[in-house]
Amino acid sequence: MGAPPPLEGDQELKAEESEAELMRQVAAGEIGGLETLYDRHHAMAYALALRITTEPGLAEDVVQDSFLGLWRNAARYAEAKGSVRGWLLAIVRHRAIDTIRRRKNGVTLDDDTTDIVPAALTLPDIWPEVAGRLDAEQVRIALEGLPPAQREAIEYAYFDGLTQREIATRTGAPLGTVKSRMRLGLVALRRELLDVTDAANELVPAVTAGSKGRS
Amino acid sequence: MTIRCDRVLELAPGFVLGALDAADMAAVHEHLIACRESHPELRELGGVLPYLAVSLEPVEPPARLRAAVIAAAQADLAAHPRSAQAAARRVAAIPRTAVAYEPLAVEAWAAEPAATVASGSGTVVSLASVRRSRRRRALAWATRVAAAVAVVAIVGYGYGVVREPGARPSQSPFFVPGQGDVVVDLTAPGAGTAHGFVDLRPTNHLIVYVNGLVPTTGDQVYMVWVTAGKDVSLAGYFRVDSQGDGTVQMDNVPRAPSLWVQVCIEPNEHVTTPTGPTVASATIFS
Repeated sequence: MGAPPPLEGDQELKAEESEAELMRQVAAGEIGGLETLYDRHHAMAYALALRITTEPGLAEDVVQDSFLGLWRNAARYAEAKGSVRGWLLAIVRHRAIDTIRRRKNGVTLDDDTTDIVPAALTLPDIWPEVAGRLDAEQVRIALEGLPPAQREAIEYAYFDGLTQREIATRTGAPLGTVKSRMRLGLVALRRELLDVTDAANELVPAVTAGSKGRS
Repeated sequence: MTIRCDRVLELAPGFVLGALDAADMAAVHEHLIACRESHPELRELGGVLPYLAVSLEPVEPPARLRAAVIAAAQADLAAHPRSAQAAARRVAAIPRTAVAYEPLAVEAWAAEPAATVASGSGTVVSLASVRRSRRRRALAWATRVAAAVAVVAIVGYGYGVVREPGARPSQSPFFVPGQGDVVVDLTAPGAGTAHGFVDLRPTNHLIVYVNGLVPTTGDQVYMVWVTAGKDVSLAGYFRVDSQGDGTVQMDNVPRAPSLWVQVCIEPNEHVTTPTGPTVASATIFS
Protein backbone atom coordinates (compact mmCIF):
# COMPACT_ATOMS: atom_id res chain seq x y z
CA MET A 1 0.00 0.00 0.00
CA GLY A 2 1.43 3.28 -1.02
CA ALA A 3 1.74 6.21 1.26
CA PRO A 4 -1.22 8.55 1.26
CA PRO A 5 -0.75 11.74 -0.69
CA PRO A 6 0.56 14.52 1.48
CA LEU A 7 -1.96 16.91 2.84
CA GLU A 8 -1.89 20.42 1.58
CA GLY A 9 -0.52 21.60 4.89
CA ASP A 10 2.26 19.04 4.73
CA GLN A 11 3.22 20.27 1.30
CA GLU A 12 3.34 23.78 2.60
CA LEU A 13 5.46 22.69 5.52
CA LYS A 14 7.91 21.03 3.15
CA ALA A 15 8.06 24.18 1.09
CA GLU A 16 8.79 26.22 4.17
CA GLU A 17 11.49 23.80 5.20
CA SER A 18 13.00 24.25 1.81
CA GLU A 19 12.88 27.99 2.24
CA ALA A 20 14.54 27.67 5.61
CA GLU A 21 17.31 25.72 3.95
CA LEU A 22 17.65 28.45 1.37
CA MET A 23 17.95 30.98 4.15
CA ARG A 24 20.71 28.92 5.69
CA GLN A 25 22.49 28.95 2.35
CA VAL A 26 22.11 32.69 2.13
CA ALA A 27 23.40 33.09 5.66
CA ALA A 28 26.45 31.09 4.62
CA GLY A 29 27.04 33.41 1.69
CA GLU A 30 25.79 31.20 -1.13
CA ILE A 31 24.54 33.40 -3.93
CA GLY A 32 22.52 30.53 -5.38
CA GLY A 33 20.24 30.58 -2.36
CA LEU A 34 19.52 34.24 -2.90
CA GLU A 35 18.86 33.69 -6.57
CA THR A 36 16.30 31.02 -5.79
CA LEU A 37 14.56 33.17 -3.21
CA TYR A 38 14.52 36.08 -5.62
CA ASP A 39 13.03 33.94 -8.36
CA ARG A 40 10.30 32.78 -6.02
CA HIS A 41 9.31 36.04 -4.42
CA HIS A 42 10.42 38.95 -6.58
CA ALA A 43 7.09 39.49 -8.32
CA MET A 44 5.15 39.63 -5.08
CA ALA A 45 7.76 41.89 -3.52
CA TYR A 46 7.70 44.20 -6.51
CA ALA A 47 3.91 44.26 -6.58
CA LEU A 48 3.80 45.38 -2.96
CA ALA A 49 6.55 47.94 -3.42
CA LEU A 50 4.85 49.32 -6.51
CA ARG A 51 1.47 49.47 -4.80
CA ILE A 52 2.92 51.52 -1.96
CA THR A 53 5.36 53.76 -3.79
CA THR A 54 3.36 53.97 -7.05
CA GLU A 55 6.59 54.63 -8.93
CA PRO A 56 8.42 51.82 -10.73
CA GLY A 57 11.84 53.33 -10.07
CA LEU A 58 11.23 53.65 -6.36
CA ALA A 59 9.72 50.20 -6.26
CA GLU A 60 12.84 48.74 -7.84
CA ASP A 61 15.00 50.47 -5.25
CA VAL A 62 12.81 49.16 -2.47
CA VAL A 63 12.94 45.60 -3.75
CA GLN A 64 16.68 45.71 -4.23
CA ASP A 65 17.21 47.09 -0.75
CA SER A 66 14.88 44.50 0.70
CA PHE A 67 16.60 41.54 -0.91
CA LEU A 68 19.93 42.97 0.08
CA GLY A 69 18.64 43.22 3.61
CA LEU A 70 17.58 39.61 3.43
CA TRP A 71 21.00 38.69 2.13
CA ARG A 72 22.83 40.46 4.90
CA ASN A 73 20.55 39.38 7.72
CA ALA A 74 19.62 35.85 6.75
CA ALA A 75 21.27 34.50 9.87
CA ARG A 76 18.70 36.33 11.90
CA TYR A 77 15.82 34.58 10.26
CA ALA A 78 13.93 32.52 12.78
CA GLU A 79 12.09 29.77 11.02
CA ALA A 80 9.73 29.24 13.92
CA LYS A 81 8.52 32.79 13.70
CA GLY A 82 7.15 32.85 10.22
CA SER A 83 7.59 32.23 6.56
CA VAL A 84 10.35 33.71 4.46
CA ARG A 85 7.76 35.28 2.23
CA GLY A 86 6.00 36.90 5.16
CA TRP A 87 9.28 38.23 6.43
CA LEU A 88 10.36 39.54 3.06
CA LEU A 89 7.05 41.24 2.41
CA ALA A 90 7.17 42.88 5.80
CA ILE A 91 10.58 44.25 4.93
CA VAL A 92 9.35 45.49 1.59
CA ARG A 93 6.36 47.18 3.14
CA HIS A 94 8.40 48.88 5.82
CA ARG A 95 11.03 50.01 3.36
CA ALA A 96 8.44 51.28 0.91
CA ILE A 97 6.48 53.21 3.51
CA ASP A 98 9.67 54.65 4.89
CA THR A 99 10.54 55.80 1.39
CA ILE A 100 7.25 57.53 0.72
CA ARG A 101 7.12 59.13 4.17
CA ARG A 102 10.55 60.59 3.75
CA ARG A 103 9.72 61.82 0.31
CA LYS A 104 6.44 63.32 1.48
CA ASN A 105 7.87 65.05 4.50
CA GLY A 106 11.27 65.89 3.10
CA VAL A 107 12.87 64.75 6.30
CA THR A 108 15.73 62.53 7.21
CA LEU A 109 15.41 59.30 9.08
CA ASP A 110 16.35 60.70 12.41
CA ASP A 111 13.96 63.57 12.79
CA ASP A 112 10.65 62.09 11.95
CA THR A 113 8.18 59.76 13.54
CA THR A 114 9.28 57.08 11.13
CA ASP A 115 11.84 56.18 13.70
CA ILE A 116 9.00 54.50 15.50
CA VAL A 117 8.95 51.16 13.84
CA PRO A 118 5.54 50.30 12.47
CA ALA A 119 4.39 47.58 14.75
CA ALA A 120 2.76 45.69 11.97
CA LEU A 121 6.19 44.76 10.82
CA THR A 122 7.34 43.59 14.18
CA LEU A 123 4.64 41.01 14.60
CA PRO A 124 5.15 37.45 13.59
CA ASP A 125 3.65 35.73 10.65
CA ILE A 126 1.54 33.57 12.89
CA TRP A 127 -0.48 31.75 10.32
CA PRO A 128 1.97 30.13 7.99
CA GLU A 129 -0.29 27.13 7.81
CA VAL A 130 -3.15 29.39 6.82
CA ALA A 131 -1.15 31.37 4.35
CA GLY A 132 -0.15 28.25 2.53
CA ARG A 133 -3.76 27.60 1.68
CA LEU A 134 -4.77 31.12 0.79
CA ASP A 135 -4.49 32.43 -2.69
CA ALA A 136 -4.77 36.01 -3.80
CA GLU A 137 -8.35 35.59 -4.88
CA GLN A 138 -9.43 34.29 -1.50
CA VAL A 139 -7.78 37.17 0.28
CA ARG A 140 -9.35 39.64 -2.13
CA ILE A 141 -12.75 38.14 -1.52
CA ALA A 142 -12.23 38.44 2.20
CA LEU A 143 -11.20 42.06 1.80
CA GLU A 144 -14.09 42.86 -0.46
CA GLY A 145 -16.42 41.34 2.07
CA LEU A 146 -15.58 44.09 4.50
CA PRO A 147 -17.72 47.21 4.75
CA PRO A 148 -16.06 49.73 2.41
CA ALA A 149 -15.20 52.15 5.20
CA GLN A 150 -13.44 49.45 7.19
CA ARG A 151 -11.53 48.21 4.18
CA GLU A 152 -10.56 51.75 3.33
CA ALA A 153 -9.19 52.39 6.81
CA ILE A 154 -7.08 49.26 6.73
CA GLU A 155 -5.80 49.86 3.23
CA TYR A 156 -4.90 53.48 3.93
CA ALA A 157 -2.83 52.34 6.87
CA TYR A 158 -1.30 49.25 5.32
CA PHE A 159 -0.65 50.37 1.77
CA ASP A 160 -0.32 54.12 2.21
CA GLY A 161 1.30 54.26 5.62
CA LEU A 162 -1.21 56.76 6.95
CA THR A 163 -1.82 57.20 10.64
CA GLN A 164 -5.31 57.05 12.05
CA ARG A 165 -5.29 60.80 12.38
CA GLU A 166 -4.24 61.22 8.77
CA ILE A 167 -6.95 58.82 7.68
CA ALA A 168 -9.50 60.84 9.62
CA THR A 169 -8.36 63.98 7.86
CA ARG A 170 -8.41 62.37 4.46
CA THR A 171 -11.80 60.73 4.83
CA GLY A 172 -13.47 63.41 6.92
CA ALA A 173 -14.49 60.84 9.50
CA PRO A 174 -14.03 61.48 13.22
CA LEU A 175 -10.85 59.98 14.66
CA GLY A 176 -12.82 57.69 16.94
CA THR A 177 -14.73 56.36 13.99
CA VAL A 178 -11.53 55.61 12.13
CA LYS A 179 -10.22 53.70 15.12
CA SER A 180 -13.41 51.68 15.34
CA ARG A 181 -13.39 50.93 11.64
CA MET A 182 -9.82 49.74 11.83
CA ARG A 183 -10.52 47.40 14.72
CA LEU A 184 -13.73 46.02 13.31
CA GLY A 185 -12.13 45.58 9.91
CA LEU A 186 -9.16 43.65 11.23
CA VAL A 187 -11.37 41.44 13.37
CA ALA A 188 -13.71 40.76 10.48
CA LEU A 189 -10.85 40.08 8.10
CA ARG A 190 -9.27 37.68 10.52
CA ARG A 191 -12.57 35.89 10.91
CA GLU A 192 -13.04 35.69 7.17
CA LEU A 193 -9.59 34.31 6.56
CA LEU A 194 -10.00 31.75 9.28
CA ASP A 195 -13.34 30.76 7.87
CA VAL A 196 -11.84 30.31 4.44
CA THR A 197 -9.34 27.87 5.74
CA ASP A 198 -11.68 26.16 8.15
CA ALA A 199 -9.29 27.10 10.88
CA ALA A 200 -10.37 27.40 14.45
CA ASN A 201 -12.41 30.45 15.24
CA GLU A 202 -12.08 30.42 18.95
CA LEU A 203 -9.31 33.03 18.96
CA VAL A 204 -11.54 35.73 17.60
CA PRO A 205 -13.38 36.58 20.82
CA ALA A 206 -10.12 37.53 22.48
CA VAL A 207 -9.72 40.26 19.92
CA THR A 208 -13.27 41.45 19.84
CA ALA A 209 -13.14 42.02 23.59
CA GLY A 210 -11.54 45.35 22.92
CA SER A 211 -14.00 46.40 20.27
CA LYS A 212 -15.83 49.59 20.92
CA GLY A 213 -18.57 50.98 18.84
CA ARG A 214 -19.34 50.31 15.27
CA SER A 215 -18.90 52.41 12.24
CA MET B 1 4.71 52.05 32.64
CA THR B 2 2.82 54.98 31.21
CA ILE B 3 -0.27 53.12 30.02
CA ARG B 4 -2.21 50.13 31.24
CA CYS B 5 -3.06 46.86 29.55
CA ASP B 6 -6.58 47.95 28.74
CA ARG B 7 -5.18 50.95 26.92
CA VAL B 8 -2.92 48.68 24.87
CA LEU B 9 -5.94 46.62 23.96
CA GLU B 10 -7.67 49.79 22.83
CA LEU B 11 -4.68 50.90 20.77
CA ALA B 12 -3.91 47.47 19.35
CA PRO B 13 -5.38 47.90 15.83
CA GLY B 14 -3.52 51.12 15.20
CA PHE B 15 -0.39 49.72 16.76
CA VAL B 16 -0.17 46.63 14.60
CA LEU B 17 -0.78 48.75 11.51
CA GLY B 18 1.78 51.31 12.60
CA ALA B 19 -0.99 53.89 12.37
CA LEU B 20 -0.83 55.48 15.80
CA ASP B 21 0.64 58.85 16.53
CA ALA B 22 4.27 58.67 17.58
CA ALA B 23 3.49 59.21 21.26
CA ASP B 24 1.01 56.35 21.36
CA MET B 25 3.34 54.08 19.42
CA ALA B 26 6.08 54.79 21.91
CA ALA B 27 3.74 54.28 24.85
CA VAL B 28 2.70 50.86 23.62
CA HIS B 29 6.29 49.88 22.96
CA GLU B 30 7.25 50.97 26.43
CA HIS B 31 4.36 49.09 27.96
CA LEU B 32 5.27 45.89 26.16
CA ILE B 33 8.82 46.08 27.37
CA ALA B 34 7.73 46.09 30.96
CA CYS B 35 4.46 44.18 30.86
CA ARG B 36 4.30 40.50 31.69
CA GLU B 37 0.89 40.00 30.14
CA SER B 38 0.76 38.13 26.88
CA HIS B 39 -1.34 40.66 24.92
CA PRO B 40 -2.65 38.10 22.46
CA GLU B 41 -4.65 40.79 20.73
CA LEU B 42 -1.48 42.07 19.11
CA ARG B 43 -0.62 38.77 17.55
CA GLU B 44 -4.17 38.07 16.56
CA LEU B 45 -4.72 41.40 14.87
CA GLY B 46 -1.21 41.67 13.51
CA GLY B 47 -1.36 38.17 12.11
CA VAL B 48 -3.82 39.38 9.52
CA LEU B 49 -1.46 41.87 7.99
CA PRO B 50 0.93 39.70 5.99
CA TYR B 51 -2.00 38.48 3.95
CA LEU B 52 -3.01 41.91 2.81
CA ALA B 53 -0.03 41.81 0.50
CA VAL B 54 -1.23 38.48 -0.82
CA SER B 55 -4.29 40.24 -2.20
CA LEU B 56 -2.13 41.92 -4.82
CA GLU B 57 -1.47 40.45 -8.21
CA PRO B 58 2.22 39.70 -8.70
CA VAL B 59 3.97 42.19 -10.96
CA GLU B 60 7.07 41.30 -12.91
CA PRO B 61 9.81 43.89 -12.41
CA PRO B 62 12.35 44.73 -15.11
CA ALA B 63 14.80 41.90 -15.69
CA ARG B 64 17.70 44.15 -14.76
CA LEU B 65 16.54 44.15 -11.16
CA ARG B 66 17.56 40.54 -10.64
CA ALA B 67 21.05 41.25 -11.90
CA ALA B 68 21.27 44.33 -9.71
CA VAL B 69 20.23 42.39 -6.61
CA ILE B 70 22.71 39.61 -7.24
CA ALA B 71 25.50 42.05 -8.04
CA ALA B 72 24.85 43.95 -4.83
CA ALA B 73 24.95 40.73 -2.84
CA GLN B 74 28.20 39.69 -4.49
CA ALA B 75 29.75 43.05 -3.72
CA ASP B 76 28.61 42.75 -0.14
CA LEU B 77 30.07 39.27 0.08
CA ALA B 78 33.39 40.49 -1.24
CA ALA B 79 33.44 43.20 1.39
CA HIS B 80 32.27 40.93 4.18
CA PRO B 81 33.18 37.29 3.64
CA ARG B 82 31.13 35.00 5.76
CA SER B 83 31.18 31.40 6.72
CA ALA B 84 28.54 28.82 7.43
CA GLN B 85 30.05 28.36 10.84
CA ALA B 86 29.72 32.00 11.68
CA ALA B 87 26.15 32.04 10.49
CA ALA B 88 25.34 28.94 12.49
CA ARG B 89 26.87 30.44 15.61
CA ARG B 90 24.82 33.53 15.19
CA VAL B 91 21.61 31.62 14.63
CA ALA B 92 22.34 29.38 17.58
CA ALA B 93 22.72 32.42 19.77
CA ILE B 94 19.11 33.37 19.18
CA PRO B 95 16.80 31.41 21.44
CA ARG B 96 13.54 30.34 19.92
CA THR B 97 11.48 30.92 23.00
CA ALA B 98 7.82 31.39 22.29
CA VAL B 99 6.67 34.69 23.68
CA ALA B 100 3.55 36.69 23.39
CA TYR B 101 5.19 39.71 21.83
CA GLU B 102 7.91 38.53 19.58
CA PRO B 103 8.97 41.08 17.02
CA LEU B 104 10.45 39.84 13.84
CA ALA B 105 13.81 41.24 13.08
CA VAL B 106 12.68 42.94 9.96
CA GLU B 107 12.93 46.56 10.83
CA ALA B 108 16.64 46.75 10.32
CA TRP B 109 16.35 45.15 6.95
CA ALA B 110 13.72 47.56 5.91
CA ALA B 111 15.52 50.61 7.17
CA GLU B 112 18.87 49.57 5.87
CA PRO B 113 19.87 51.71 2.95
CA ALA B 114 21.96 50.02 0.33
CA ALA B 115 24.48 52.82 0.49
CA THR B 116 25.52 51.74 3.95
CA VAL B 117 26.06 48.13 3.15
CA ALA B 118 29.77 48.23 3.60
CA SER B 119 29.78 50.27 6.73
CA GLY B 120 30.02 47.52 9.26
CA SER B 121 29.15 44.04 10.32
CA GLY B 122 26.51 45.22 12.70
CA THR B 123 23.00 46.00 11.66
CA VAL B 124 22.56 49.42 10.16
CA VAL B 125 19.26 50.96 11.01
CA SER B 126 17.63 54.30 10.99
CA LEU B 127 18.37 56.41 13.97
CA ALA B 128 15.66 55.98 16.52
CA SER B 129 14.70 58.51 19.09
CA VAL B 130 15.62 57.02 22.40
CA ARG B 131 12.77 57.37 24.74
CA ARG B 132 13.39 58.77 28.15
CA SER B 133 13.44 55.73 30.18
CA ARG B 134 12.38 54.23 33.37
CA ARG B 135 15.24 53.64 35.68
CA ARG B 136 15.90 50.15 36.71
CA ARG B 137 15.98 49.43 40.38
CA ALA B 138 19.32 50.05 41.92
CA LEU B 139 21.71 47.25 42.53
CA ALA B 140 23.51 46.88 45.79
CA TRP B 141 26.25 49.38 46.51
CA ALA B 142 28.59 46.50 46.76
CA THR B 143 28.37 46.15 43.02
CA ARG B 144 29.53 49.69 42.56
CA VAL B 145 32.40 49.22 44.88
CA ALA B 146 33.33 46.16 42.94
CA ALA B 147 33.52 48.32 39.88
CA ALA B 148 37.05 49.23 40.68
CA VAL B 149 38.66 47.50 37.80
CA ALA B 150 41.31 44.93 38.47
CA VAL B 151 43.49 44.12 35.57
CA VAL B 152 44.28 40.48 35.62
CA ALA B 153 46.67 39.20 33.07
CA ILE B 154 45.39 35.89 31.92
CA VAL B 155 45.50 34.29 28.60
CA GLY B 156 42.29 34.13 26.70
CA TYR B 157 41.94 34.00 22.99
CA GLY B 158 45.39 35.44 22.81
CA TYR B 159 44.30 38.58 24.51
CA GLY B 160 44.94 40.14 27.82
CA VAL B 161 41.75 40.16 29.79
CA VAL B 162 40.41 42.83 32.05
CA ARG B 163 38.31 41.30 34.74
CA GLU B 164 36.22 42.86 37.37
CA PRO B 165 36.01 41.32 40.79
CA GLY B 166 33.25 38.78 40.80
CA ALA B 167 33.03 38.49 37.06
CA ARG B 168 33.04 34.93 35.88
CA PRO B 169 35.71 34.04 33.37
CA SER B 170 33.09 33.17 30.81
CA GLN B 171 31.79 36.70 30.96
CA SER B 172 35.07 38.50 31.13
CA PRO B 173 35.71 40.97 28.39
CA PHE B 174 38.33 40.21 25.84
CA PHE B 175 40.40 43.26 25.82
CA VAL B 176 43.61 44.23 24.13
CA PRO B 177 45.03 47.30 25.78
CA GLY B 178 47.30 47.77 22.86
CA GLN B 179 48.90 50.84 21.43
CA GLY B 180 46.42 53.03 19.71
CA ASP B 181 43.38 51.72 21.55
CA VAL B 182 40.86 54.32 22.61
CA VAL B 183 39.30 53.34 25.92
CA VAL B 184 36.36 55.28 27.28
CA ASP B 185 34.27 54.69 30.38
CA LEU B 186 30.66 53.71 30.03
CA THR B 187 28.50 55.61 32.45
CA ALA B 188 24.89 55.36 33.45
CA PRO B 189 22.46 58.26 33.22
CA GLY B 190 21.24 59.70 36.47
CA ALA B 191 21.44 57.31 39.38
CA GLY B 192 21.84 54.25 37.20
CA THR B 193 24.21 51.58 38.35
CA ALA B 194 25.62 50.34 35.07
CA HIS B 195 29.22 51.06 34.28
CA GLY B 196 32.02 49.67 32.21
CA PHE B 197 34.23 50.65 29.36
CA VAL B 198 34.44 50.75 25.60
CA ASP B 199 37.62 49.93 23.78
CA LEU B 200 38.04 50.91 20.14
CA ARG B 201 41.04 49.28 18.58
CA PRO B 202 42.95 50.67 15.62
CA THR B 203 41.75 47.66 13.68
CA ASN B 204 38.20 49.00 13.97
CA HIS B 205 37.32 46.34 16.48
CA LEU B 206 35.11 47.44 19.34
CA ILE B 207 34.86 45.83 22.74
CA VAL B 208 32.13 46.83 25.15
CA TYR B 209 32.05 45.64 28.70
CA VAL B 210 29.30 46.51 31.15
CA ASN B 211 28.75 45.65 34.77
CA GLY B 212 26.25 46.64 37.40
CA LEU B 213 23.35 45.64 35.23
CA VAL B 214 19.99 44.52 36.50
CA PRO B 215 19.48 40.85 35.57
CA THR B 216 17.32 40.31 32.54
CA THR B 217 14.07 38.42 32.77
CA GLY B 218 12.22 36.43 30.15
CA ASP B 219 13.35 37.44 26.70
CA GLN B 220 14.78 40.74 27.77
CA VAL B 221 18.23 41.50 26.46
CA TYR B 222 20.75 44.26 26.74
CA MET B 223 21.56 45.54 23.29
CA VAL B 224 24.60 47.61 22.43
CA TRP B 225 24.13 50.19 19.71
CA VAL B 226 26.80 52.20 17.95
CA THR B 227 25.79 55.46 16.38
CA ALA B 228 28.02 57.02 13.74
CA GLY B 229 26.43 60.11 12.28
CA LYS B 230 22.98 59.05 11.21
CA ASP B 231 23.73 55.37 11.12
CA VAL B 232 23.02 53.15 14.04
CA SER B 233 24.56 49.70 14.15
CA LEU B 234 23.76 46.87 16.46
CA ALA B 235 27.03 45.74 17.99
CA GLY B 236 25.44 42.81 19.76
CA TYR B 237 23.35 41.79 22.69
CA PHE B 238 23.51 39.70 25.82
CA ARG B 239 21.48 38.57 28.74
CA VAL B 240 22.50 39.09 32.30
CA ASP B 241 22.20 36.97 35.39
CA SER B 242 22.89 37.92 38.97
CA GLN B 243 26.51 38.66 38.10
CA GLY B 244 25.25 41.75 36.34
CA ASP B 245 27.79 41.92 33.58
CA GLY B 246 28.05 41.36 29.87
CA THR B 247 30.31 42.00 26.93
CA VAL B 248 29.95 42.56 23.23
CA GLN B 249 32.45 42.79 20.42
CA MET B 250 32.03 44.24 16.99
CA ASP B 251 34.17 44.19 13.87
CA ASN B 252 34.22 46.79 11.14
CA VAL B 253 32.99 49.56 13.34
CA PRO B 254 31.83 52.49 11.22
CA ARG B 255 34.41 55.21 10.96
CA ALA B 256 33.27 58.59 12.18
CA PRO B 257 34.70 61.55 14.09
CA SER B 258 32.71 60.37 17.06
CA LEU B 259 30.87 57.22 17.97
CA TRP B 260 28.11 57.06 20.49
CA VAL B 261 27.84 53.71 22.22
CA GLN B 262 24.68 53.06 24.17
CA VAL B 263 23.48 50.04 26.08
CA CYS B 264 19.71 49.65 26.12
CA ILE B 265 17.44 47.15 27.75
CA GLU B 266 15.09 45.75 25.12
CA PRO B 267 12.17 43.29 25.23
CA ASN B 268 13.99 40.73 23.13
CA GLU B 269 16.84 40.34 20.70
CA HIS B 270 14.76 41.07 17.65
CA VAL B 271 14.47 44.76 18.34
CA THR B 272 16.34 46.54 15.62
CA THR B 273 16.23 50.11 16.76
CA PRO B 274 17.23 51.30 20.19
CA THR B 275 13.81 51.79 21.66
CA GLY B 276 14.43 50.69 25.23
CA PRO B 277 15.83 52.70 28.11
CA THR B 278 19.51 53.56 27.88
CA VAL B 279 21.29 52.12 30.89
CA ALA B 280 24.80 53.21 29.97
CA SER B 281 26.51 55.15 27.23
CA ALA B 282 29.84 56.51 26.11
CA THR B 283 31.13 58.73 23.34
CA ILE B 284 34.36 57.90 21.57
CA PHE B 285 36.20 60.65 19.75
CA SER B 286 38.73 59.42 17.26
